[in-house]
Amino acid sequence: MRNAERLCLAHFWVAFAAFLAACILGTWQMWVRSPWGAHVGTPGQYFMSVTAHGVSMAYVLTTFFIMGFGYFVAVTSLGRPLPGRAWAWAAFWMGIVGVLMVLVTIALGQASVLFTFYPPLTASPWFYIGLVLVVAGSWVWCVLMLVAMREWKRENPRQPVPLAMFATVANAVMWLWTTVGVAVELVFQVIPASFGLVQTIDAGLARTLFSWTLHAIVYFWLIPAYIAFYTIIPRAAGGRLYSDTMGRLTFILFLVFSLPVGMHHLMMDPQHGNAWKFIQMLLTIFVSVPTLLTIFTITASLEIAGRLRGGRGVFGWIGKLPWDRPAVLATGLAFVMLAFGGFGGLINMGYGMNAMVHNTSWVTAHFHLIFGGSVVIMYFAIAYEIWPRLTGREHDSLAPLRWQLWLWFIGMMVMTLPWHWLGLQGQWRRVANFNYADPIIAAWGPWVIVSLFGGLVLLLSALLFVRNLAALHRSPMLHAQRPLYALAVHPPHRVPAALNGFGLWNVLVLVLMLLAYGYPIAQFVIEPSPAAMVHRVH
Amino acid sequence: MTDRPAEVHEQRILGTELLWAFGVGILVAATLSVVVFTALSRDINPPSNVERVDPKTLHLSGEFAEHNLGTTVGPDGRVTARIIATQFMFVPRCIAVPRGRPVTLRIASPDVIHGLLITGTNVNTMVVPGFVAQVHTEFTRSEDVLMPCHEYCGLGHSEMWATVQVMTDDRFKPAPDGRVSCAQR
Amino acid sequence: MNPTDRSAASEPPSEVTDDIDEAALAEVMRVTPLGAGVLAGSAVALLVLGYLAIYLLVFLPRGPVG
Repeated sequence: MRNAERLCLAHFWVAFAAFLAACILGTWQMWVRSPWGAHVGTPGQYFMSVTAHGVSMAYVLTTFFIMGFGYFVAVTSLGRPLPGRAWAWAAFWMGIVGVLMVLVTIALGQASVLFTFYPPLTASPWFYIGLVLVVAGSWVWCVLMLVAMREWKRENPRQPVPLAMFATVANAVMWLWTTVGVAVELVFQVIPASFGLVQTIDAGLARTLFSWTLHAIVYFWLIPAYIAFYTIIPRAAGGRLYSDTMGRLTFILFLVFSLPVGMHHLMMDPQHGNAWKFIQMLLTIFVSVPTLLTIFTITASLEIAGRLRGGRGVFGWIGKLPWDRPAVLATGLAFVMLAFGGFGGLINMGYGMNAMVHNTSWVTAHFHLIFGGSVVIMYFAIAYEIWPRLTGREHDSLAPLRWQLWLWFIGMMVMTLPWHWLGLQGQWRRVANFNYADPIIAAWGPWVIVSLFGGLVLLLSALLFVRNLAALHRSPMLHAQRPLYALAVHPPHRVPAALNGFGLWNVLVLVLMLLAYGYPIAQFVIEPSPAAMVHRVH
Repeated sequence: MTDRPAEVHEQRILGTELLWAFGVGILVAATLSVVVFTALSRDINPPSNVERVDPKTLHLSGEFAEHNLGTTVGPDGRVTARIIATQFMFVPRCIAVPRGRPVTLRIASPDVIHGLLITGTNVNTMVVPGFVAQVHTEFTRSEDVLMPCHEYCGLGHSEMWATVQVMTDDRFKPAPDGRVSCAQR
Repeated sequence: MNPTDRSAASEPPSEVTDDIDEAALAEVMRVTPLGAGVLAGSAVALLVLGYLAIYLLVFLPRGPVG
C-alpha cells in the first residue's frame, strides 16, 4: 500500500468532513421546516443550507470517497503500486480548490440554486467553475483506474481482472460517460450565462443535459457499495461469493443501463413527448435488473457463510451469520433499506405513477433512504474495513461501530418513512417553512416532527462514525488480519473478453444513448426552444 | 480435488441465477402489462404535450394575457384553466374547476422553472419557460385543495401556492363570457 | 503512517486462499441457494404486491392524468 495510504486517507477525510457538516445542516433544515421551527431561519439561510447540504452529500462526500476507495482497490486487488501517483495528488488538490470555491460562493449567498442548479436561475460563475474542477479531478481518477487495469492486464495476459478492480473500472468508464451531460450544460450554457456573456438560456435543453448526469450519477455512488457486497462482504461473513460471473455481469449491466435512463427524471416535463417517456420507463426496468440479480447472488453468498457455520433449514443460516462483525451487520441493514428504497423507486419510475409523487416528499424520502441509507451505510462498512489496513491499527472494540450502524438505520427509517406518507398527501419539496395554519398542511405537522427525530438520531450516528474513525488513529497496532477480498465458489481461471473489458459495452452505451437521448437533445438544435431570461441569484 | 466438482458448481450456480432471473422477469413483465393496459384503456400518460411559447412575451397578448387567465368553459363545453406560474405566485391565485368532468390545465412561465401539483390528485407537471405545460384530468372529489409550486424557483418558493376549488355542478356556473371564478369564502 | 506489507490487503486475490474446507463447501452447496431463493423471492413478491396495491388503490382512484 506504500504511500497510497495517505492518498486514500486524504480523500476519505475530506469526504467524511463534508458528510458531517452536511448532516448538521440537514438536521437544522429539518427543524426549520417543522412546526417547531416556524420562527427560525429565513428563506435565504434555508436555501443556502440546502445548497450546501446537497452539494456536500451529492458531489463531495461521494466523489472523494469513491476516488479514495478506487485508489485503494487499484493497489490492493491488483497487488501493484498505483500508476501516476503525482497525477492523483494533483487531482486531489484541484478538487480541494473546487470545493473551496463552491463553499465560499454558497456561504456568500451567491449560489442558492441547490445541487441541481436548474437554469434560468443562475449563480455566481465561481460556483460552477468550482464544480467543474471537482469533476475534472475525478476524470483524472478515471484515467488512472483505466491505466492501472491496462498495465495489470499487460503483466497478466489472459487472466481475469480481479472483480473488485473490474467493477471499479466499470464505474470509472460509466462516470466518464455520465459527466458529459452536466459538463456540456455548464461549459456551453450555464457558465457563459453566469458571466453575463449571454442574456438568455434554453431551459429545456439545460434540463435535458442535466438529466443525462442525474440518474447515472446515483449508480456512480451505488457501485462502490455493490463492490463491497460482491468482493468484501462474503469474506467478512466467512463464506464465498456465489458467482463471480454474475458479479461481472451486474457491473456491466449498470454501465450499460444507468446512462440512457436519465430522462425518467423528466417524466413531468413539457419539453418531451409520450413516446420518449415510455422508452424511458422500459429502459429503467432494465436498470433494475442488476439490483435484482445482486440481491439473489449476495443473499446466496451469505447463505453459504451461514450454512458453513452450522445453519440448517430454509432460514437457519440467517441467525448463524456473524452479525457482530460491522461489515455483515451493515449489509443486513443495507438490504432492508434497499427493499423499502427500491419500492419507492419502482413507484417513481411508473409511467403514470410518477405524476402522483414527482417533486413531493416521496422523492426526498426515496433518495435519502436508498442513497443515504443503503449506500452510505456501506460506505461506513467499507471505511471500517479498510481504515485498519490504511492506518496499521485495529478497532479497540467493535461495539461502537455496531451502535453507529444501528443508529444510522433507525434514524434513516424514522426520518424517511413518514416522508413517503407525506409525499402521498401532497407535501412538496424544497420549502423553507410551511403554513401550518392551513388545515391540509396542519395534518402533516406531527409526521414532520417524527421525521425530525429521525434526523436527530442520524446526526448522532454521524458524530459517532467520525469518532470511531478518529479513534483508530490512537488505537492499538494491528496484529493479525483476515484477508479482505472474497473468493468465489468457483474462482474464474478464464473469462471471456467481454467480461474482462469494456470495448463492446462502450459501443452498446453509445447505441442506447443515441436511442434514448438522440432526438430529445437534437430537437433543441433543430428547433431551439424560445429562450428564457437568465435570472441571477447573486 | 478434481476439476469436476468445481465445474458442476459453476453450471448449477449459473442455472439457479437463470432461474431467478426468469422468475423475476415474469413478475416484472406482469407488472408492466398492468401499467401498459391501464395506460391504454384509461389514457393515463405523463403530461406530454410539447408546445412552445415565448416566455418573454407570453403575458402581453394571446392565450396567456392576463385577461384570459383562469377557468373558462368553451362553446363546446370543454373546461380549460389557463394559469401563469411566476416568481412567486400563480395567476390566478384561486382556480375553480368542476367535479367529474374533463378539465384541461394549461400553464406557462415567463421567468424560471416552476412546477405544480394538486394535492389528492394526479395532477403534476413541471413548468419550463419556453413551453406550455398541459395536463388533462378529472377531479373526483369536491373540496378545496392546494396547488403549490413544487420546484425551487428562488427564495420566495415556499410562499408560492394557489387554491383549487373543486365544485359540484350546481356551484360551477359559468358567466356569460364562459369564465368561472372561485367562490368567495 | 506506513503499514508494513504484512497487511494482507496487498496480496492479489489470485494468490490468496481462504480457510474454507472444500468438502464442507461442497456439502453446503447442495442446499444453497434454497434459502436465498425463498428470502429474496418473498421480498420481491412483496414488492410487486405493494406496487400493484398502490397502483390500484391509491393512484387510479385519484383520477386520470394525461
